[in-house]
Amino acid sequence: MLLAYKLALASPRIQARAIEASEFVADADRHGVHAVPAIVVDDRYAWAGSVPEGAFVERVLAAVSA
Amino acid sequence: MNVLGEREREAVASVLASLEQDVSVTLELGPTAAPVTLLAAGGREIDSAAQTQAVLEDVCSLSDRVTLEIVEHDEPGPWPRTTIGPGLVYLGMPLGYELTTLVHGIVEAGRTEPSLTEASRERLASLDRDVAIDVFVTPT
Repeated sequence: MLLAYKLALASPRIQARAIEASEFVADADRHGVHAVPAIVVDDRYAWAGSVPEGAFVERVLAAVSA
Repeated sequence: MNVLGEREREAVASVLASLEQDVSVTLELGPTAAPVTLLAAGGREIDSAAQTQAVLEDVCSLSDRVTLEIVEHDEPGPWPRTTIGPGLVYLGMPLGYELTTLVHGIVEAGRTEPSLTEASRERLASLDRDVAIDVFVTPT
C-alpha cells in the first residue's frame, strides 16, 4: 500500500486510497478481489500481490495505457 | 484512551520522530452506506468508527507535528475515511498490519521530498491524465 501513497506524493496526477476489503465488501466483490493487496487502477482490477517499486510503477503505467 | 500497547506506542513515536514537516490527518465519520458486521476473535462485535477514532487519537498524540481533525457527516458514505496530508486516503479501520500503512503514510506525507526513486519519478512524469489507484488491504 505504501508504494501507492509514495506515487501519489510524487505525482500530482495520482490519487491513492487504501480500502479495507472486509469493511467494503461490495467494492471488493465488484472488482473480484480474492487476495490482498489487490490493486485497482481507474476502477479496473489490475493485479494482486506486492511488487518492487519499479514494477509497481510500470504496472500502473501499463494499466493506464491499456 | 490508549488502544496501542506501550511497546507499540514507543515504536510509533520513534517512527514519527522522523517527520520533517507538519502533517494533518482528517477522520470522517457518519452512517455507513453499506453496513457490515465485523467480529473480533471471540465473537465480540467491532465498532469500526470508534476503533478507528481511538487508534487515530492514539497515533496522532505521539507527535507534535501531527494534528487530527474529526468531521461528522449526517449522510451515509464510505466511512470511516481517513485522509493523511495532501490526500492519502484510508477507508476503514487501520488496525493490525495496516497500522503500519497509517503510520508510514504519515511519515511519507511528513517528508519534504518524495521518497520515490528519481527513475520512478521520471516515468510518472509521462502521465498526461489523472489516475486513481485503489489498493484493497486487510488488517491481517
